[in-house]
Amino acid sequence: MSAQDLLAGAAPSTAGEAAPAAGARQVWRRLRARKSALAGIVVIALLLLVAVCAPLLTAIEGQDPTTYHDSLLNSAAGGVPVGPFGGISGAHWLGVEPGSGRDLFARLVYGSQVSLLVAVGATLVEVVIGVVVGLAAGLGNKLLDQFLGHTTDVMLALPSLVFAIALMAVVPSGFPRPLLLTLVIGLLGWGGTARVVRAQTLTLKELDYVSAARLGGSSRWRIARRELLPSLAAPVITYAALLLPSNVASEAGLSFLGVGVKPPTSSWGQMLSSATTWFQSDPTYVLLPAAFLFVTTFAFTVVGDAVRTALDPRAASRLRVGTGRAKKRGNDTKRGNDAQRGNDTKRGGDAKQASADAKGAAA
Amino acid sequence: MSRTPRISRRAAAAAVTVALAGGAAACGPTSGDAGADATPHKGGTLTVLNQAPQDNFDPARQYTTGGGDIPGLVFRTLTTRERANGAEGTKVVPDLATDTGEPSKNATVWTYHLKSGLKFQDGTAITSADIKYGIERSFAPELSGGPPYFRDWLVGAENYQGPYKDKHGLDSIETPNASTIVFHLTKPEGDFPYLATMTQFSPVPKAKDTGATYYLHPVSSGPYEVTENQNNGTHLVFKRNPYWSAATDSQRKAYPDTIDVQAGLDPAVINQRLETSSGTDADAVTTDTNLGPAELAKINGDKELKSRVGTGHFGETYYLAFNPKVKPFDDIKVREAISYAVNRTSVVNAAGGSSLAEPATTFLPDQATFGYTPYDWFPAGATGNPAKAKELLKEAGYPHGLTITLASSTSDASYQGPAIATAVQDGLKAAGITVRINQIQDDSYSSTVDSVKTEPGVFLGSWGADWPSGGPFLAPIFDGRQIVTDGSNFNNAQLNDAQVNATIDKINAVTDHAEAAKEWGALDKQLGQRALTVPLFHPVYERLYGKNIRNVVISDWDGRVDVADVAVK
Repeated sequence: MSAQDLLAGAAPSTAGEAAPAAGARQVWRRLRARKSALAGIVVIALLLLVAVCAPLLTAIEGQDPTTYHDSLLNSAAGGVPVGPFGGISGAHWLGVEPGSGRDLFARLVYGSQVSLLVAVGATLVEVVIGVVVGLAAGLGNKLLDQFLGHTTDVMLALPSLVFAIALMAVVPSGFPRPLLLTLVIGLLGWGGTARVVRAQTLTLKELDYVSAARLGGSSRWRIARRELLPSLAAPVITYAALLLPSNVASEAGLSFLGVGVKPPTSSWGQMLSSATTWFQSDPTYVLLPAAFLFVTTFAFTVVGDAVRTALDPRAASRLRVGTGRAKKRGNDTKRGNDAQRGNDTKRGGDAKQASADAKGAAA
Repeated sequence: MSRTPRISRRAAAAAVTVALAGGAAACGPTSGDAGADATPHKGGTLTVLNQAPQDNFDPARQYTTGGGDIPGLVFRTLTTRERANGAEGTKVVPDLATDTGEPSKNATVWTYHLKSGLKFQDGTAITSADIKYGIERSFAPELSGGPPYFRDWLVGAENYQGPYKDKHGLDSIETPNASTIVFHLTKPEGDFPYLATMTQFSPVPKAKDTGATYYLHPVSSGPYEVTENQNNGTHLVFKRNPYWSAATDSQRKAYPDTIDVQAGLDPAVINQRLETSSGTDADAVTTDTNLGPAELAKINGDKELKSRVGTGHFGETYYLAFNPKVKPFDDIKVREAISYAVNRTSVVNAAGGSSLAEPATTFLPDQATFGYTPYDWFPAGATGNPAKAKELLKEAGYPHGLTITLASSTSDASYQGPAIATAVQDGLKAAGITVRINQIQDDSYSSTVDSVKTEPGVFLGSWGADWPSGGPFLAPIFDGRQIVTDGSNFNNAQLNDAQVNATIDKINAVTDHAEAAKEWGALDKQLGQRALTVPLFHPVYERLYGKNIRNVVISDWDGRVDVADVAVK
């Protein structure tokens, strides 16, 4: 998603939602209304639970992620697990890893800790840096704006994968790897957020209530904190929700390339990487980390998309106004619909206007 | 890096991806003869599918063992390896020469006589002067890449810059007549006939030498000549050399009319193509790609595929190397404790299982030609002896366990990566030894561990044979005079023991290979007691070949399907 799309999508909130507390409840209601979003939220909640309870879950299974089980392998046949489906048994719920006999359930469960921690951490780093840089650029003088603008351009233009690999390789191996992964992904990925925040800030600071605050003698810091940040929440959350799955994939990608977490720590990307050669002789080994990765990124993407829609009054009003998908529903609940339309007409109109303004500003 | 045969440099060991080795002397190729049921015939095109390109195809620039596979098709040498299965194939036999060399009494002067009727690909006769010139040009700085022995062994060669700069040449190589060549060495070297298998001993006609571009059109003395060389050895085509005569060459069968070498392929692609064996791939072999563990698992249940796997052993050992200059490895009790604690079953499985690796307790590969003498000073059994290890740690002053840092490469391709390191780590856990793994970038791994300035306290090491003898296996690692303080140092323990040095000198002077082997074995056993390394495993080659391949010969010298002997009809 480009910054442009985001702007178009998120801008209306500036006009529409001045009170964030009410907005949050409304957003939650809209999210809940979408079955796919709800399913995504449930999946994410489960994954978080699994990650947090990893030691407990593996204790129930009676295994740990690092102990070798040589007796479970057919050593003469390349170390492939003995038994069907990669050695699935009562003791090893998802089988064992070829070549080492380490428990796959334990490795997957502990792997989720790395994947989620790094993804969430990197997203936070991106959001914090992006908001600070964006606000500073939007509120600062021309020189600062230009300097930060160019810096952001450079960040966006950097071939981030190449840079990440290089950074992961040069940092001394004593540095904690998950933290390093978080920082590297986070520090290379804040450009988009900064762009969005800057553009939003430029639009917002011309609005009456901000002008009023400025005339009232509020400092820039206070304006940023009290007047701008609440209105920036919607676009930033939207952007962050879409950054999360891409960060899960980034972590997996770096671990896949061998510059991620250090052994014996497991991560999905690292597991997938060592599993690739086994796709014919032990498909279970490949499918498990692949499935976990797919489900996680998919769930995050669905929720992220739903959050974007929920935060976007245009989309929300479209539902109610009776266009698009909601149209069919509109027929038999005509009266209700009309009533709602009446309520929302003004806001929807404003939103469209604001959206057009924002587009103009961005262009 | 792309030298086909294995060499004792770690750099190359790391580069040649799955080039493995190992060695049960008793069991040669197990299924190697499977393709030989039909009589081999001349003709056809043999395809070679390889990962590493055959770059710098100049005899001066190749670093081979026994003359190499593909280089051996074009470059004949004074002596060569015997093209025979198993242990028989570790013997050195005459090639251009009439015998393997006549040593002087103290093995410092070696004399060779050339066979008669030897010809280059243009029909001119091969003379001893051509061989002398071939060795001399390997000293030229622009033709680097060969082994270091010539500079060390030949009298007056230390600062020689090659025939382009110094027309006078080397006085230590005499050619009294066109068929006699005499070498004067600085010290007794009973292994000289083994060195004489290297491509530097192949004749180069001075008139045809084009210096740095000679690799494009080297003049052949072997059964084939180069007709095409694309992208510096990525694609090579060999056709018959009409002037080669089987009457002067008992080793190369040269069945195919054409040999087509395609390199730069991914190992998975090579194995998949050999497995499918469709079209020209049915006539294909590989000289540098092993079957991976996952491929072995698949082949295990397939009789047809299993019959097309050649098993070979090449003298190579993988081990934990200690640097006793770093604490706590200065304490022999700590080193012994680690030797007791190591779980070789896990390590072997991490290396691809028992088909691809054999557990090792000796530094020398377990082949008679190296002088293999069984010993196990710190018996760890199959899975480690943590109780004994704990006891030793207590004696060493670590009653509550110990934390050490093990250096490994980032790549598993060379058996020095995270897979082996974590297997060691898990084994030592039981003895209360916590292992932290320090991964070093693969491309700088060997330069880091082989420099006395940056050498870690303990790391994953490996050593392969330049030729199947104890000398090149033990001397570079344990000879105190071979410690290099500003460059590549392979004496990782920095052992400088006058008695060990004297023993090495004594054995080097022995010209009887069997006798020397016995003494190398005794030295290895004695060195093992010092616990300077923990031998882990000897790798095994498992290589697939195409459906039509016949007359498969796999010697223990290099463990590979011999391209000079296979037939496709």
